[in-house]
Amino acid sequence: MALDPVARAAIVAALGPDDVVDDPVQTRAYECDGLTGYRVRPEIVLIPRDAEAVARAVKACHRNGVPFVARGAGTGLSGGALPVADGVVISLARLKRVLEVDPENRRAVVEPGVTNLEITAAVAAHGLYYAPDPSSQQVCTIGGNVAENSGGAHCLKYGFTTNHVLSMEVVLPDGELVTLGGDSPEQQGPDLRGVFLGSEGTLGITTKITVRLLRTPETVRTLLADFPSVAEAGEVVSDIVAAGIVPAAVEMMDTLAIEAAEEAVHAGYTVGVPAALVVELDGPIEQCDAEFTQVKEICDAHGCTRLHIAGSPEERAAIWRGRKAAFAAVGRISPDYFVQDGVVPRTRLAEVLGRIADMGDEAGLRVANVFHAGDGNLHPLVLYSAAAGETERAEELSGAIAELCVELGGSLSGEHGIGTDKACSMPKMYGEEDLAVMQRVRDAFDPEGICNPGKVLPTPRLCGERPGKYRPHPLEESGVIERL
Amino acid sequence: MSDREGTLTALKPASLKEAREAVLDTAGRISVAGAGTAADWAGRLGPVDAVFDTTGLSGVITHNPGDMTVSVHAGTPLRALQEELAKHGQHLSFDAARVADGATVGGLVATADAGPSALVHGTLRDLVIGATTLLADGAVVRSGGHVIKNVAGFDLAKLLHGSYGTLGALVEVVLRLHPVPKAVGTVVVECDLAEAARLGREVLASQLEPTAVEWLSSGRLLVRIDSTDEALPARLERLTRLLGDGAAVAEADVWGEHAALTRGTEGAAVLRIGVKPSVLPGVLEGLPAAAATAGLGTGVATVSVPGTAVAEAHAAVHAAGGTSVLRSRPADLDAPAWGPPPSALAVLKAVKQRFDPDGRFGPGRYDPWEIS
Ligand SMILES: Cc1cc2nc3c(=O)[nH]c(=O)nc-3n(C[C@H](O)[C@H](O)[C@H](O)COP(=O)(O)OP(=O)(O)OC[C@H]3O[C@@H](n4cnc5c(N)ncnc54)[C@H](O)[C@@H]3O)c2cc1C
Repeated sequence: MALDPVARAAIVAALGPDDVVDDPVQTRAYECDGLTGYRVRPEIVLIPRDAEAVARAVKACHRNGVPFVARGAGTGLSGGALPVADGVVISLARLKRVLEVDPENRRAVVEPGVTNLEITAAVAAHGLYYAPDPSSQQVCTIGGNVAENSGGAHCLKYGFTTNHVLSMEVVLPDGELVTLGGDSPEQQGPDLRGVFLGSEGTLGITTKITVRLLRTPETVRTLLADFPSVAEAGEVVSDIVAAGIVPAAVEMMDTLAIEAAEEAVHAGYTVGVPAALVVELDGPIEQCDAEFTQVKEICDAHGCTRLHIAGSPEERAAIWRGRKAAFAAVGRISPDYFVQDGVVPRTRLAEVLGRIADMGDEAGLRVANVFHAGDGNLHPLVLYSAAAGETERAEELSGAIAELCVELGGSLSGEHGIGTDKACSMPKMYGEEDLAVMQRVRDAFDPEGICNPGKVLPTPRLCGERPGKYRPHPLEESGVIERL
Repeated sequence: MSDREGTLTALKPASLKEAREAVLDTAGRISVAGAGTAADWAGRLGPVDAVFDTTGLSGVITHNPGDMTVSVHAGTPLRALQEELAKHGQHLSFDAARVADGATVGGLVATADAGPSALVHGTLRDLVIGATTLLADGAVVRSGGHVIKNVAGFDLAKLLHGSYGTLGALVEVVLRLHPVPKAVGTVVVECDLAEAARLGREVLASQLEPTAVEWLSSGRLLVRIDSTDEALPARLERLTRLLGDGAAVAEADVWGEHAALTRGTEGAAVLRIGVKPSVLPGVLEGLPAAAATAGLGTGVATVSVPGTAVAEAHAAVHAAGGTSVLRSRPADLDAPAWGPPPSALAVLKAVKQRFDPDGRFGPGRYDPWEIS
């Protein structure tokens, strides 16, 4: 399908030709996000310079019935920023000013194209930081974070993007500029801010965001501990929680993930060990130190084979470098990989990891695990070789793992979003009626269905006809929840 | 509502199934009611044909202590839930005054209520991780889930937070829990608001991590620390030093007074306001408040003003960039419940239209905005 020439002219006129890219070589850069298996070349990409220009562009799209897709840095892992064939892409790359830093009120006002890490860089001199820390924080934008409700290792203690955004200026799908949220946590009516957060670009485009900032903690203590099994490491996590300690972060890596990370960055992890935990505590010195001692004791009680305590900021950075590199490093031990993002209740970690290993064996594929153990958010990396014809098998295994998480009482996605990738799996997690009401929300914001269509909610076009009648949610079957 | 009391249908379902049938079998307008602790908050309820009482939907559905999550029926009094959770050393990190009066979980969510510890833990919108909601046309929608981290689908519980029974009836709620702090202490300073604001700024700029920083109109600043037995004494000692000569660790419970002031003074109109923390003292000084509590870190205050001052107070808060809503008030007071509407009023109306096209639930709650 092609963009209607009249509509195209109107949209280009709304911005001026300087802010429109239509050269096929250049538009190619926008054809996919981090989920590179899906590609659609957009005919034109709009790169507005300010919020008013975004509003003008959207208004022109609305008037002409042209679908649009907002794009930040394009690091999304679920195909959220995948262009739509007969639509336009609106890049927020030029809206990258830090508009205000307000140390007294511990907040900053930024444009959506500012990267996650740039916020902290802009406020660090005041002893403040922006807490949510996706591993992609050097490049991903705050606008993308808002759309995905992104998380990171430290979200266990400090919460996710939704917990750190006070308000947003939003261009609605009809081009109106409104503010969602306010200057305080008090609400003026239902929390429209909250429903917009995590809506994956389907309810509008955010053009200005007021984020909360936290005071940097007085002290930070980090350890890296090796364990003889994933199960033992899992018990450490449970015991830390049972002791009433809320760690800043608890991350786990298995043999394969450690091997990959070490090969890539030589961060001092023990190659060959079955499981390693990174545990970080922060806060006022007295409390942090006392609890850190307790954590060390818990590690010892579970057969910890090596305990490395970061003795300097450099050593701490090295531990995190290993953890954060694990993802991309997997490319060193496998030509291709899929990453999943399912969540299970923390108490089912050992069980789910065992089942993933079995499923991997059955499929004849290796699965590396590096994940947020504190909140049960897995990142199984399914390793495969496209050249060897393993793609389809790997994709199937990857999808089956996400759905297994739902079966165990969890979620399809902890932070990467549903996007294009998992929209067709949504009926595994939600019933038809649930999805129909979510559609009502979408219709309320975007009655014409032009704002990032085809994402999040399953459509017959995307997923084939509706999968028959409603099948009970696994939690219903086990009597945990009740429908009717 | 009072003049029609005789004809009111009472609905008191004990299960989701009964709840759905009750709503489907009842014609006309319905008010959703929990324990009634905030029945007169926000816009005055217009005429209704039935009251949907959630208190029959009570009790814990699942609590797995290891996961630190709990799912409950929405009519469960939070106080009762907290007692149950305390046996496992856990709680919902939430301390609105109304909890002690028997407020239900669903009612607390629907009214977007919050207490002093919102400074650290946020409001219920930050603690609810899943919900089951019944809409006016009988649709039952589940959103979120049972895990603390989950981005699958739209977060509908957020829409219900602060919806005052206008969008649907919460039937089940899933909550994220925290460990009960092992030791808690509060430092008190007798001072006026200006001095409290100065001290509050210092505390918040420090790394002492207070859980709550509240000024009371009785002339006291309260700063609370949640900690452990080992660490609390040292943390309180540092806090006391920072706060200066007038500061002392409270011997008895000082938060009861805070809760009482939040409920408001007899005969007054109670306004809940939220502004940027830095402008809060100025806004409060301009209001004819007989009683007030002021969250110096959150910018959220609860003030008792004469009924005649309500409209003016809304205007003053709005002029300062904030928001305000009327809570308890004298029964005969004719005053606007809300200040000027938000810029996204059209979206709010569109959501109401899709969720409750016939305007059955909670008529009047958003007056004077007329959302349906
Ligand atoms: C190596 C790597 C590591 C990662 N680690 C993490 C992690 O630890 N945690 C995590 O949560 N995610 C992680 N991600 C995923 C990704 O970085 C996040 O989803 C991020 O928030 C996307 O931001 P972006 O600017 O790249 O957005 P894009 O990919 O450009 O867009 C993402 C979605 O947001 C929408 N969008 C973008 N800007 C706006 C706007 N202004 N208004 C409305 N909608 C908008 C798009 O339409 C799209 O649906 C990782 C990705 C990579 C590649």
